Amino acid sequence: MGDAATGRVRSAAEVAEARAYGLTHADLGAWRHLTPIEIYWAVQHHVAPAAARRWAAAGLRVGDAVRAIALGMTPEEIAPWAAAGFAPGDAVEAKEVGVPLETAAAWREAGFILPDAALLIRDGWTLDQAVTARYAGIPAEDWSSP
Amino acid sequence: MLSDERNRLLCQTGPGTPMGELLRRYWHPVAGAAEFSRTSVKPLRILGEDLALYRDRSGNWGLVDRHCPHRRADLTYGFTEERGLRCNYHGWLFDHTGQCLHQPFEETLHPGGRFKDKVRIRAYQVQEKAGLVWVYLGPRPAPLLPDWDQYYRRGFKQVTVSELPCNWFQCQENSIDPVHFEWLHDNWSAVLRGEDGYRAPAHQRLGFDEFDYGFTYRRIRADTTAEHPLWTTGRVCLWPNCLYTGHFEWRVPIDDTRTLSIGWFVDELPGDLPYEQDVIPCWEAPVIDERTGRWIDTHVMNQDYIAWIGQGVIADRTMEHLGESDRGVILMRKRLLDDLEEVAVGRDPKGLIRDPERNHRVHLPLVPVPGSAAGPRPFVFLAGQPAEVFEQYTQAWHACAASAAEKESAAGG
Repeated sequence: MGDAATGRVRSAAEVAEARAYGLTHADLGAWRHLTPIEIYWAVQHHVAPAAARRWAAAGLRVGDAVRAIALGMTPEEIAPWAAAGFAPGDAVEAKEVGVPLETAAAWREAGFILPDAALLIRDGWTLDQAVTARYAGIPAEDWSSP
Repeated sequence: MLSDERNRLLCQTGPGTPMGELLRRYWHPVAGAAEFSRTSVKPLRILGEDLALYRDRSGNWGLVDRHCPHRRADLTYGFTEERGLRCNYHGWLFDHTGQCLHQPFEETLHPGGRFKDKVRIRAYQVQEKAGLVWVYLGPRPAPLLPDWDQYYRRGFKQVTVSELPCNWFQCQENSIDPVHFEWLHDNWSAVLRGEDGYRAPAHQRLGFDEFDYGFTYRRIRADTTAEHPLWTTGRVCLWPNCLYTGHFEWRVPIDDTRTLSIGWFVDELPGDLPYEQDVIPCWEAPVIDERTGRWIDTHVMNQDYIAWIGQGVIADRTMEHLGESDRGVILMRKRLLDDLEEVAVGRDPKGLIRDPERNHRVHLPLVPVPGSAAGPRPFVFLAGQPAEVFEQYTQAWHACAASAAEKESAAGG
């Protein structure tokens, strides 16, 4: 089965998956670039194909788009994060915890990927505390110099 | 990295702990039904509770406190009757609801006495499905025992049980960690075979999708593209304590320092004629190599066990350094922490099925598993498969191959 937008041919496995979710050929056509599980999740959460495509254009798969919509985000909010080298989904993660881009960048600079940092921030950690904790047992002079 | 407090929150599963309360909202497989052709009572420690699992002579399953409420004798040495389990110490009898039905000496002295009506033992619900015995230790009403579509797949099925000396959560984190396949299974296996220079196709990209019953993890490796089912479909981290890749691997906490690894496997058989398996065999998979005293490293799940056990009895997540390969692991932690909050306020956690209409051959995403046209395949997942189980599979395979050839010949003739 072909994808009209991308020319991509859906594999037999993908078509079988789609059938298992109760999706039709028409559904797969309407939801062009999405995988069966994404289509299923989008339908479950009342995300329209056009909306899913807008979020996809911003780099978000349906799962993250559903979370972003629940947080009141717009696709335009993703771009600054992507431009700063974060995974597009990180923008949603950050929004959930209330972490601004500059803070996320500082944590990343210290070696914490955003989801890890977000969990720590949610638990009330400061960056200094996290850095100190991660090097517990190692003399400061071995890790604190540039 | 997690604080020690958060780590304990995710790892501790005893009665009254937040994670214990969460896991008690789900059905858990704890044994193979076939085990009960050899015994009728089995000691079972699960989620930190010591229990007696039995099937009485009427075929009813029961799961009750391991200790008789009379004088605390061990009910796993009791004996089953038409209805229930009788303590071997003074003969008190209990049914599967935990109600005491008979107290021989009390009733001899006081035939009209109703002391037994006042005695009840802790009891939990049990069901048998797909060759497994399932238990539910949570509040009522229990959710439905999921009816996964895979249980109906044609093939030779088998159940494995292993006991691992480590916490359940590090086992389950492995269920959403795609990159470990490349190293732990592909590259390390090559090294073990003496192929030192070999490197498996490297992971290029990872993705995770949520669905009703867990998350799928998706991967593109150097030898695959975005059209490959490993990316378009992905494999399943089944909520809250299972991996599903065409077979199931449940990680059921025995307590906080031991985990019951329950495997459910199906091997494809040739042809398409109906095949019914009378009994799904169950075998205990060894984890220690008796020649060396080290962990067995020859099979896929044994290699996983080495990684999990190697993380420590309870992995110290205050000491870890998470990277891009760990996004799935963090996703799982976050979702479970959210679920703990849901349970704390009286709501259902993720993935429960309560609507009978929905619980019919429930689909799980599946990357096609290639069949074996050439002959019966050796079991690659765990070491120690008993010869008689492989023999049963081999016989089934050849019988199905012969039937298929006969059918083809008849169609051709």
